[in-house]
Amino acid sequence: MTAIFSRRANLFVQIGLALLVLGAVCFLLLIWGVPLMNYNDQVSFTPRQPVPFSHKHHVSGLGIDCRYCHDSVEYASNAGMPPTETCMTCHSQVWTNAAILQPVRQSLAEHKPLRWRAVYTLPDYVFFDHSIHIAKGVGCTECHGPIGDMPLTYKATTLYMSWCLACHRNPAPHLRPRNAVFDPHWHRTAATPSGQQLMALYHIHPQTLTDCSVCHR
Amino acid sequence: MSDDPDRSRGGRRGSIFWRRIEELADSPDLLERARREFPSFAALAEGSVDRRRFLQLTAASMALMGLTACGLEVAPRDRQPYVEQPAGIVPGRWRYFATATALQGYGTGVLVKHEMGRPLKIEGNPDHPASLGATSAIGQASILELYNPFRADTLTREEAIAPWSAFTTAVSERRQRLLASRGRGLALLTGTVTSPTLLAQIGELRRDYPQLDWYQWEAIDREPARAGARLVYGRPVDLLPDFGRADVILAVESDFLESAPGHLRFARDFASRRRAVEVKARMSRLYALESTPTLAGAKADHRLALTPVAIEAAMRRLAGMLGAGPADWSHGADPQAKALDAIAADLRRAQGRALVHVGAAQTATVHALAAAINHALGAYGQTLSLIEPVAPPPQAGAALSDLTDAIAHGSVDTLIILADNPVYAAPADLEFARALRTVPFSVYLGEYADETAEAVHWHVPRAHEYEAWSDVRAFDGTISIQQPQMLPRGERHSAHELLALLSGQISADGRAIVREHWQTRAQEAAIPDFDSYWMEALRIGIVRDTAARPIEVQPRADLARSLEPAGGAAVRADELTALFRPDIYLWDGRFADNGWLQEMGRPFTRLTWDNAVLLSPRTARRLGLDTADRVEVELGGRRVQAPVWVLPGQADDCVTLPLGYGRRRTGPVGEGVGFNAFELRTRAMLWQGQGAVLRKLDGRYELAVIQHEGRTLGRDLVREGTLAEFLKNPEFLHYGPAAESLYPRYPYPGIAWGMSINLDACIGCHACVTACQAENNSPVVGKTEVWRNREMHWLRIDRYYEGPLENPALVFQPVPCMQCENAPCEVVCPVHATVHDSQGVNVMVYNRCVGTRFCSNNCPYKVRRFNFFDYTASDPRPRESWNPEVTVRARGVMEKCTYCVQRTRIAMIAADRDDRRIRDGEVVTACQQACPTEAIVFGDQNDPQSAVARRKASPLDYAMLGELNTRPRTTYEALIRNPNPALGDEEEGGHA
Repeated sequence: MTAIFSRRANLFVQIGLALLVLGAVCFLLLIWGVPLMNYNDQVSFTPRQPVPFSHKHHVSGLGIDCRYCHDSVEYASNAGMPPTETCMTCHSQVWTNAAILQPVRQSLAEHKPLRWRAVYTLPDYVFFDHSIHIAKGVGCTECHGPIGDMPLTYKATTLYMSWCLACHRNPAPHLRPRNAVFDPHWHRTAATPSGQQLMALYHIHPQTLTDCSVCHR
Repeated sequence: MSDDPDRSRGGRRGSIFWRRIEELADSPDLLERARREFPSFAALAEGSVDRRRFLQLTAASMALMGLTACGLEVAPRDRQPYVEQPAGIVPGRWRYFATATALQGYGTGVLVKHEMGRPLKIEGNPDHPASLGATSAIGQASILELYNPFRADTLTREEAIAPWSAFTTAVSERRQRLLASRGRGLALLTGTVTSPTLLAQIGELRRDYPQLDWYQWEAIDREPARAGARLVYGRPVDLLPDFGRADVILAVESDFLESAPGHLRFARDFASRRRAVEVKARMSRLYALESTPTLAGAKADHRLALTPVAIEAAMRRLAGMLGAGPADWSHGADPQAKALDAIAADLRRAQGRALVHVGAAQTATVHALAAAINHALGAYGQTLSLIEPVAPPPQAGAALSDLTDAIAHGSVDTLIILADNPVYAAPADLEFARALRTVPFSVYLGEYADETAEAVHWHVPRAHEYEAWSDVRAFDGTISIQQPQMLPRGERHSAHELLALLSGQISADGRAIVREHWQTRAQEAAIPDFDSYWMEALRIGIVRDTAARPIEVQPRADLARSLEPAGGAAVRADELTALFRPDIYLWDGRFADNGWLQEMGRPFTRLTWDNAVLLSPRTARRLGLDTADRVEVELGGRRVQAPVWVLPGQADDCVTLPLGYGRRRTGPVGEGVGFNAFELRTRAMLWQGQGAVLRKLDGRYELAVIQHEGRTLGRDLVREGTLAEFLKNPEFLHYGPAAESLYPRYPYPGIAWGMSINLDACIGCHACVTACQAENNSPVVGKTEVWRNREMHWLRIDRYYEGPLENPALVFQPVPCMQCENAPCEVVCPVHATVHDSQGVNVMVYNRCVGTRFCSNNCPYKVRRFNFFDYTASDPRPRESWNPEVTVRARGVMEKCTYCVQRTRIAMIAADRDDRRIRDGEVVTACQQACPTEAIVFGDQNDPQSAVARRKASPLDYAMLGELNTRPRTTYEALIRNPNPALGDEEEGGHA
């Protein structure tokens, strides 16, 4: 009677099992590793923009306030992107012939909006409101990172829901006095009121901040 | 849960509510269907899907589930800021602009909600007398009309696309010829015109073309009322009833709650005297005489279902008894004599505070009789005033039939049609389409490439009301200037621009025309600063001090003689009276391409996507017909095929033919939906006609009905009583087990949102349902899906019948999500997709939902809706028309009412930003805002001063299915009727 399996059958089975184990390990590594790469959350990704706008130069160098350009941040959900004419208030006077500003001049001349690439994008089912965060003493840099020192704007935070919730569960460490909200280089000092004091001052109740309906409608 | 009605109602003897006729009949079929809550599961149970196939599908869906997680969470996007930011535009902030909508030529003020320059939602204009902040279902749906991609936007010449210049050239040539002939052969056909600018333009045209013939025609017009006024006063006048001052009201198939110009105002006034807790003994009493159910009849304390002939006889009898006619009119036998005597006595008791209101469909004689009775009751100056007609009445010889005659005589060679779709809606015996095709030069200004557009030479697409400048007068004469909310797409123009072209202005702009007219008026009125006058009119939505002043007119002395019975032909027993009535939502068919209105359940039949001939149960039994049978209706030798709907409350021997359906050409939504009753409507029978014959055809018709299976099974979903009982013991409906639980109540220390719905005030108009659909991005699902009970309305209005089958009383009950504190849906959700927030709202997290539908299964109120398909992706409306504040749901997720969480959150953020408490009334839900009768109140029930807390403190407040201990946040105020004691003992609920 001939053998059903050849002599080498064992080897195939062994190789097969080894591959299976290897595959499983790779799969697990992938699951564990991909979120660690910044592919999904796009953190520190710097999109190419029509004009290489530098927050570092304008904010830290020239000392222009955030609200000069993002003018609805204090009273509307949307912080507001500056219209071309805001750029041209200065650039009709300075750097009037700079090549990198050509798209801005073109936008004004042709009456076509500049197309900026969004750095921070939230999914459609998340309804974020800038104004309330400003009113409650959350500084710009809490979410936008060291925006005042970015030569080119990159995404500083993941915007994952877990990241949002970390602050909504425990806002105290992220609060600052109202007059420091727009300060890109603010640091807590000994004179700063504590986070708990600020929470009391702003009437923040973290137990209601994790309601689904706070952000999802 | 008890099946014994008496036990579960706290031992109180009461009426048993039922929803469908089969329920009364205890049909075994219905009981079987009621047992299964979701009839659509029958296919699974009956084995049409076998086990193997089921496992295959399950495995495949499991395997594919993971794929949906692939890819970037959010696709990268562009941000495009303005070049120059327009003043006042803030991204993420609403702005409101006032304008007005017109129907039957009469205006209703609206505020259009804009975001970033996009009009997105319609609200009523609180400053406008015809709105007072409310809207109708049609008004709410007008925003969908605006975005309808199937409205015509190209000029066509004999159905081929043509450039605008070709049209202007053709008109200029015509103009030269017409100027030479002083306008001989030029005819203009319009609907009812109240626009001062348009009237002035027509006057100007008359100067250019003295022989111009102006014809007026409206498919659903108010000619009987005008003719009635002519009978009484010798000239047309308009009536302004004041339902807030009337103690006793007699509504004769009245449209005052549904479609009469000013109906939103009338409904508000009426409701102000009907909320029992507020008005107590001052509650008004409403009687209704009608042939086919109206919303007014549904709210009536006593309602008589009578044929049109019997209505006239009844009015004559009342007139005789009240001294408005010869006394011998009140003698003679009448089967309703007892009820009529009681009504007459009640009206007489309320001398000076009584009011008779007659609907547009009644004959001129009935209108005249009503006027005579109103005079006899001293209603004028009290509950009723007269004004000069708001719309100039058409001259003699200016009817559509005169136009057809003129065309037949060859005396019309240029015809300009501004009226809406006469080919579809004109009386069938006029054969208007055939006549129109013989006119040498015809122009039609119409919104759709419809039936009329194919019969004319030139079809000019009409700009929507929100795309064009115009002006319009309301029922009381108040003028509103209509301003466009967006630029018209394509080659759309307004009537003003078309007439200006005829006057020789080649590139006339609508704004300039309207503005110039008002400038002239302002100069005549010596108004110094026109710009601020104009801007104020635009801003507040009305031109101040333009309401008509009451006039004094005496009725003719020989009035009674002119109203002598005509002694009409005897009615044959086997013939029925046909009643032509506009559909409450599609009107004369002009809104047929509006999916929201097509899918809105009709208040009485609950039908969607179809019309049916309505028969009373007794007549249907006599004819051997049942609901959904197919019949051929013959009237005057014309025939149509239609399904039957057996409607309790319909008068015997009357068959109602709802108009507005069976459109052959409009957009794809409305084409071929229902049957066209206009094919039977002739000049002699505009509203009713004798001699309809119904012949049963084979087969049954599939009617899609917004209905939810289930008898009420003795559960007291609706509590009701009489005013007398209420005055004796206000707590009389306060019964049932106190909700008790072993668990402590969850505390809501901050805001606790709550809602109270007053059943006295709800008139079942469905404005709230449409408003909810507009606000919350609810999709339209189509007839097949409605038939499968998959409609997506977050708010529904349940309709219950009570009492005898022939003439039952009606209850409308709006049912949104109850926001139970002990929500049964939450405990069964495996993924926590539905949870509570700190204000006690039961929120829905779409992204967690995996679509098990357990929640819907466990919801005792059946208010959850499931996206069986990706309805929104297949919706042809443009993306920018969805409400950006509300998530657009994808396939496979559950959704439901959230108390307009977007509105509450935006208001809470605004209050929190200013570090203050939210004010009462700061959050208004979409349904509440639209409601003409203020039936819905919403707010913080923790604040004892809030309107909602005060309503909930009412002795009539009750929770639906409160015995389940769900602790719903939405509660109802029980329905209180005010029956006449003289009639009350006779039958249950006092219904004769």
